[in-house]
Amino acid sequence: MSLTQALTISASGLRAAQAGLALVSSNVANADTPGYARKTLVQTAQYTFAFGSSVDIAGVNREIDQYVRRQLRVEVGGAAYASLRAEMYDRLQLVYGAPGSDAALETAFADFTTALQSLSASPESATARSAALNAAGVLAQQLNGMSADIQALRGDAETGLAEATAQANEALQGIARINQQLAGMAANNPAAAGLLDQRDLYIDQLAELMDIRVVADGNQVTVFTNSGVQLVGLQAARLEFQPQETMTAAAHWSADPDERSVGTLMLVSPNGDSMDLFAGSSIRSGRIAAYVEMRDRVLPGAQAQLDAFAAAMAQALSDVTQAGAPVSVGTQSGFDLDLSGLLAGNNLRVTYTDVGSGTQKTVTFVRVDDPAALPLSPGGDPNNILVGVDFTGGPAAVATQIGAALGANFTVSNPSGAILRILDDGGVAVRMDAATTTKTVTGLAAGTAQLPLFVDGSSLFTGAITGAGAQITGFAGRIGVNPALLADPSRLVLLSSGTAAGDATRPDFLYDRLAQASLSVAVPAAGAPASSFQGTLPNFLRHFLVQQGQDAAAAASLRDGQQVVVDALRQRANETSQVNIDQEMTTLLALQSAYAANARVLSAVKEMLELLESL
Amino acid sequence: MVVSALGGRTQATVQQLVEMRRQLDDLQRQLATGRKASNYADLGAASGLTIALRSQLATLSGFDQTMQTVGIRLELAQTALTRIGEIGSATKASLLQDFTIGSDGQAQAQRNARSRLDELLDLLNTQVDGRYLFSGRTVDGPAVASGAEIIEGDGARAGLRQVIDERRQADLGADGLGRLVLDAVGNTVSLAEDAAASPFGFKLAAASTDIAGATVAGPAGTPPSLSIDFGAATPQPGQTVTLTLSLPDGTTETLRLTATASTSPAAGEFAIGASAGATAANFRAALDTSLHALAGTRLVAASAMAAGAEFFALDATQVPQRVAGPPFATATALTAATPSDTMFWYTGEIAPDAPRGAASARIDAGIAVNYGMRANEEALRTLVQNVAVLAATSFAPTDPQARDAYAALADRLRPALDGAPSVQTVQEIASDIAAAQSAIKSAEERHRQSQGVLAGLLDETQGISNEEVVAQILSVQTRLQASLQATAILYQLNLVDYL
Repeated sequence: MSLTQALTISASGLRAAQAGLALVSSNVANADTPGYARKTLVQTAQYTFAFGSSVDIAGVNREIDQYVRRQLRVEVGGAAYASLRAEMYDRLQLVYGAPGSDAALETAFADFTTALQSLSASPESATARSAALNAAGVLAQQLNGMSADIQALRGDAETGLAEATAQANEALQGIARINQQLAGMAANNPAAAGLLDQRDLYIDQLAELMDIRVVADGNQVTVFTNSGVQLVGLQAARLEFQPQETMTAAAHWSADPDERSVGTLMLVSPNGDSMDLFAGSSIRSGRIAAYVEMRDRVLPGAQAQLDAFAAAMAQALSDVTQAGAPVSVGTQSGFDLDLSGLLAGNNLRVTYTDVGSGTQKTVTFVRVDDPAALPLSPGGDPNNILVGVDFTGGPAAVATQIGAALGANFTVSNPSGAILRILDDGGVAVRMDAATTTKTVTGLAAGTAQLPLFVDGSSLFTGAITGAGAQITGFAGRIGVNPALLADPSRLVLLSSGTAAGDATRPDFLYDRLAQASLSVAVPAAGAPASSFQGTLPNFLRHFLVQQGQDAAAAASLRDGQQVVVDALRQRANETSQVNIDQEMTTLLALQSAYAANARVLSAVKEMLELLESL
Repeated sequence: MVVSALGGRTQATVQQLVEMRRQLDDLQRQLATGRKASNYADLGAASGLTIALRSQLATLSGFDQTMQTVGIRLELAQTALTRIGEIGSATKASLLQDFTIGSDGQAQAQRNARSRLDELLDLLNTQVDGRYLFSGRTVDGPAVASGAEIIEGDGARAGLRQVIDERRQADLGADGLGRLVLDAVGNTVSLAEDAAASPFGFKLAAASTDIAGATVAGPAGTPPSLSIDFGAATPQPGQTVTLTLSLPDGTTETLRLTATASTSPAAGEFAIGASAGATAANFRAALDTSLHALAGTRLVAASAMAAGAEFFALDATQVPQRVAGPPFATATALTAATPSDTMFWYTGEIAPDAPRGAASARIDAGIAVNYGMRANEEALRTLVQNVAVLAATSFAPTDPQARDAYAALADRLRPALDGAPSVQTVQEIASDIAAAQSAIKSAEERHRQSQGVLAGLLDETQGISNEEVVAQILSVQTRLQASLQATAILYQLNLVDYL
């Protein structure tokens, strides 16, 4: 044993204490740094001498619990999804206004019906007339504003998707870069620990945006989408998103790029292949999934409810339903229907009984002037189907198409002019029960109580369907009071040239239809048959306001629940990885004394050497 | 650029503090607005109920507004109807007074009737906030023309005075005999209407005599005629010949001529002549005098009544009728008046349906009160017609029969102002209106109760209890303070300070 041996050993002790001090200082400094995991020194004894061993610094240990971290990552994605969704639902709630406030749709609607009640009591009063029109205008503007707000929210979701895409790309590139740096580095290389922290942070960020699967192999990780498409390994795939500049009610997502009018998320792999991540619903969690859900499902659903409300209101006031004239030919009986004045979107409805099963069936034929829109979706109920009829070929062609749609048990003909005759087979297989036409009144003084009080911009609202889409789409954003009526408010009362100023027929009709009549409201749904609501307009209004409120409340409670899970997991993860200052200070004290002790040994050796020299 | 979040422990602490602060803000909002929630989501399961309650309250307030508006109209209508009824009674009472015809050709009651007519018409033109109450559905226009227009006419459009005068001429005929032709040939006196199917003048209804041997033939034929043959008669004083005549207003008059031996027979008597021919001549002269007297008094009054009925007949089934002419004295038919040649007194809505239905107010779900009125309703029309006839008729002050003629008119107007049995009265209209008022009153009461219940329920569901919120604020405040202090202490509790 030599003194120099002791010198070397204490020097290694000093080195170890210094390294330990460096880690303590790093831990303390990063106590609140996100993603920082507490580091500890891994030191081993090196038996190189006969009577002692020096300290060797084997590496740096990251104090993390991999299982908790993985679970936390999944839940953080879920929480990000839930909280963004809840936040957007909250903003959607603002669109509906505070309950009962002046900004609420229900208030505007109630004001309109109250104004009609007043008009009914004083039809001759110019004040009552203009008050009713003003209230109608406020209601229309309210719908316009709400529609614009909903589309603005969709626009925000679109922008949010673009930002999320940029963040995801940054994270993917970061992961790829660190993967490359780590390749070939020893697992316990102290420099690797910092890189691993950094990479975990990137992965966490990515997990907040979308649901991912992380597969680790040594110090390398590969990240896949939930559906198994690789996002990043040694090289990063690139995500591309082209946001739509202005959002309209008609803009919708489709797997077909030609039909798509909103942005979609393309994954371009390093070798240049690209695929649409929205097409396979590959993303089910994280902020991106929340944005997509709001943009493509929740917000269009809210818009569709407003559109349905606006359309039901406009048509309730403007559409006249007339029963066909009963007619019989030999044993066959049926109805004559007058097709004149039937506009695109108007319908004729045939109700018959299938004698064999005793089931009553209804077929609604809708006038369609754009053959590109045909065939229409028949709807979900086999006993109540919808058929589009091309009217461009004239009444005879209409009769042929309706005959083909009804089948051989019916005789459909065009006996004269615009008359359509539908006959059963005399009650053998089918029996005609009723046939009606529903037509939109075009003028203000046509002698009917009905009038086109609400219009679609400058044209009538008939619910026409063309190849470009349905008129109802986004109608809430365009609904307005008929300009002709604004120019002549007396038409709210005078339904023909001979109507007396005090005749409340029309005001009463308007009030009845708005407040009391039971209507069948079809709510269009994207990519699914329209759902149907039967009831009064106020009930429909209440129905969808409540539904939106419940959805928003459910979103908020999902967020709260998810937050609790995330908090708990974060707590667990922190217990392992969090820097505890007290612990670090204790270590500091230990290291200080270890350093002092080592230095004392050194100085003792030095004294001994000096003693030797002086001998 | 990735924006880093806060580190784990700090984040959790901050989140808890932020949540408490949010609670505090929300409670403060609740206290300020008095509402539990600021959106439908926060109202939770109650949101549907609150929407329904507010909608019900809005409907009720709509009904209340209607009732308030209509209530005022009904009150004014009731006032007008009460006054209209009073005018009817006052006019009737005035007919029993002073029969003196003044220099203007009218009795005092007639002069009063003129101003009563104006008041009546003014009442029928009652309007509330620009709405005429007695115009049916044409509430934007007056119900009746003015008194001056109705009586005097307006330019080319004839008024009641002219129509009465024309009818008087037509009824009296040029010779004043009430459109009858009187003749005596030999022993026979004949009396005939001057034209077939003419509505004017006297109509022969019946003739009889108790003079032995005298033969009465007719009335028969076209135009109707009757004859009295005195050829075999042996009249004794006191024996009579009785003629029954129908007048244009539907009344009948009996003309009885009594045989007398006196050579200067009084009115209603004829002298028994030396021969049948002389008796016939005497009878003819007496009949002529009596007919003139009857025509100058009662026929004139009946004519005015008929002219009034024809002038005021204006509804969905009839238009005013006038004498086809000139010349009027020889006219034999009535003709429909047109708005360009005759003043139409009623300017409101003309419709076949019941007048009440012309205005209808919904005062509750499924309950409507009908309160429409038209000035040409039976009761109102009759009243205006009779008062107007009274006011429009005038007599020649120099005419010795003027007083009798006026008396005859007064006799006819008194029962007419009472109204025929089973014919609508002003009181009936008033009681219809009163029924509407009481329906409104009970609906108001009902609504007040419902509103109280609904508003209470709404307040319970969406409102807050101040005490509760204040207590919650205190509790959150205490927790927040404690948390902040604890957090501060925790962060200070650090080995660093003790090294």
